[in-house]
Amino acid sequence: MNNESRLLGAMFLRMGQVRVDRMVSERMPRRPIVGACCNTPLRPGSDTAGSLWEVLIGAFTGFWMVCLGSSLPGLSTLPAASQFAGLFRVERTNALVLSLIFAGAVLWYITQARRGAKMYVRPIPGLSAVDEAVGRATEMGRPIVFIPGTGDLDEIQTIAGLSILGRVARVTARYATPLRVPVLYPLPMAAAQEIVREAYFDEGVEHLDPQTVQYVAGESFSYSARVGGMMLRERPAAAIYMGQFTAESLLIAEVGQSTGAIQIAGTASPDQLPFFIAACDYTLIGEELYAASAYLSGDPRMLGSLKGQDLMKVLIAAAVVVGTIAVSAGWNPGWLLTMFEAK
Amino acid sequence: MSELRPAQPVPRAPFWQRLQAVDRRILYSLIFASVIIPVVWPLHLPTPVTPESRAFFNAVDSLPSGSVVLFPFDFWPSTLPETEPMAVAGLRHCFRKNLRVVGLSNVGMGGPSIADRLLDSIGAEFHKSYGVDYVNLGYKANYSAVLLGMGSKIADIFPADHRGTRLEDIPLMRQVPNYDSVKFVLIISDNAMTDYWVALVNARFGLPMVAGVTAIMAPKMLSYIHSHQLIGLLGGMKGAAEYEQLIGHADKASLGMDAQSLIHFLIISFIILGNAGHFMMRRQQARAGQV
Amino acid sequence: MKTRLPVLVAFISGALMIIAFFGRGSMVDAASETALTWQSIVGGFALLLGAVSIVRVHWQKISTRHEDRFYSACLLVCFVVMGGSGVVFGIGGGTLFDGLFQRIQAPMMSTMFSVLAFFIASAAYRAFRARSVSSAILLVAAMVVMLGRIPMGQYIYHGLPAWADWIMTVPSMAVQRGILIGAALGAASMSLRIILGVERTYLGRG
Repeated sequence: MNNESRLLGAMFLRMGQVRVDRMVSERMPRRPIVGACCNTPLRPGSDTAGSLWEVLIGAFTGFWMVCLGSSLPGLSTLPAASQFAGLFRVERTNALVLSLIFAGAVLWYITQARRGAKMYVRPIPGLSAVDEAVGRATEMGRPIVFIPGTGDLDEIQTIAGLSILGRVARVTARYATPLRVPVLYPLPMAAAQEIVREAYFDEGVEHLDPQTVQYVAGESFSYSARVGGMMLRERPAAAIYMGQFTAESLLIAEVGQSTGAIQIAGTASPDQLPFFIAACDYTLIGEELYAASAYLSGDPRMLGSLKGQDLMKVLIAAAVVVGTIAVSAGWNPGWLLTMFEAK
Repeated sequence: MSELRPAQPVPRAPFWQRLQAVDRRILYSLIFASVIIPVVWPLHLPTPVTPESRAFFNAVDSLPSGSVVLFPFDFWPSTLPETEPMAVAGLRHCFRKNLRVVGLSNVGMGGPSIADRLLDSIGAEFHKSYGVDYVNLGYKANYSAVLLGMGSKIADIFPADHRGTRLEDIPLMRQVPNYDSVKFVLIISDNAMTDYWVALVNARFGLPMVAGVTAIMAPKMLSYIHSHQLIGLLGGMKGAAEYEQLIGHADKASLGMDAQSLIHFLIISFIILGNAGHFMMRRQQARAGQV
Repeated sequence: MKTRLPVLVAFISGALMIIAFFGRGSMVDAASETALTWQSIVGGFALLLGAVSIVRVHWQKISTRHEDRFYSACLLVCFVVMGGSGVVFGIGGGTLFDGLFQRIQAPMMSTMFSVLAFFIASAAYRAFRARSVSSAILLVAAMVVMLGRIPMGQYIYHGLPAWADWIMTVPSMAVQRGILIGAALGAASMSLRIILGVERTYLGRG
């Protein structure tokens, strides 16, 4: 679980008391559980993604059925159920149900997209400006600085940042614009090197200068001092900051602003957004960062996943409205509170 | 060789335009002066106490004497100006109430040393003994394993304290095998560790907790106050100054608040001047028919 | 193969973590703990990559007589002294490494942190301009919060701290929650795309 997911859970925490055991016994369908996983067919000729999601859904279904089996009257006598008795954290049933609804919505829209349904994504000015920034740097003959956040590789925002790096590296390689990618942790460095190398190779550039992707420091203030110094010396034409940032965000962005670079930032760290908005020309806010790779690639399957995400957002907004009205009217919507409680 | 030309006089920008783009070195010099002046001549301005800081104080103050408080020093040396006053005030409050403090750090670089220094110095103020009234467990990597593992058995995660003494040889730790013996958590943090304490320890083990965080982090932490996952919150130097005021021991944060007041005032003045320049320029342009 | 193997590793690791979150039992716990241990070990080895990168980049600057070669030389000297002292004398309290860290690096880190105050001032001066109705609202809210959070504010108007508190806890918190919910869903959607192998851009593909 990443930090945002924990926070989302935490926000709804302590809003009510769980009666999961009752919910499970009342709502679980009574159907045979054996072989739920094995019966899910793998479609011949389907691509990796298609096969994988089928396996995942099968595994999920089987796991859920087998583990919950022990809680259901009459089913615990089955050999599989008794063998795996108590393997499921019953108190997290609500999280599992919500996860399945969410995953189902995303997968449904991905399938729709693969069948040719048109997916509209509103224009994101910050991403449209990436090409403009590269063009400006090419014209001026100055480098572009790309920072994939200051988180390690286990942070999903870093992955989102690295996804955008691939696109930026490809365009800079095409126009022979120097690229600088200073990183704070070694693992993102290794990933960034691979991404830039692949992008350069695709554009016919075989040599990757060691200065392009470099490990700078393992501590954020040492890192910001080094990056600030580099920006003042090299005066980049454009600076792109995409990923997780902490207190160093303003230290870097303000130096970039003083050098006259066009600056594009994107982060899902709410406490750093005001700094980027004050110091940068364009800022991707929260989910826009995660949507960036889908937006830039234009891959319908990835765009489809955004649609599924929007559906979940509508459901949560509806729950918030219903909950607010219910509480304001003096009713106690216990089931709604239980649904969003994290354990 | 370039052709020599008579120097052309550079037309000076109108006053209102210059007011919108004051050289940042002038701004920085004024900020620097605003920090130095109140340090030399303190203003002793009283700080209004927020409900979150009062709740923080009340939560610690209501603990029975002898209770065990877990005290994570989860901050880097870089944020010491903001976090140290909170930690010092927190320790003073705990020791004055005769609470027993178990310190630890989830920040490897510098965290355990800072914990050692503060526990020893504030412990000495109240004549407290290491191992009986307080202990420093030090640092262990992998915060999630540390936070969850301590719920089952602290000695599995920290077989010895920061000084290398085995936990079974420390009188205080013999009475604290896991979270069941801990009454309260007082977090001082400058990073996402507060989120993890809330998500992993408060949610799973139900331990009540308060947090002191940097001013930048404070708005985000308010959501935990609303959901009652944190009982109280100190935000930055202001929160520390309020806490110092509540425990009746004015120290570094109270001194720093004078400087912070002046700086806020200065920034507001900059904003007003910049906007005055912006409006006057727009007016002049409108008159000249440019808008 | 170059793409399929990482996608498969991502799928297995992701599925394992999901199972560990919803499941319980010694086998599940052991598997997820092993995965996390592997992650730490890989991270440890990656640190070597980082050290190699630093030495390589800065040595290249020195050997090619780059104009920044003196900074690079300084960095390499500090790198050797700090690293060497840790390896030779250990990193515990009272060692040379600890002394260098506490007396040199820590004050330098605090200095960088304090630079934020200067940068916040210049950024606020530049950004808070009432160019439109919405930016004017933002400007007024910012001024109320700034004045309400300092002792001087209550002398100007005694209700300012309460107003500042309301802005922070109601509209600001509502916006933050909205951003947080959107970001959490975005993160979950991206995680799902990665686990299922739909998202491959982080591998340099797509």
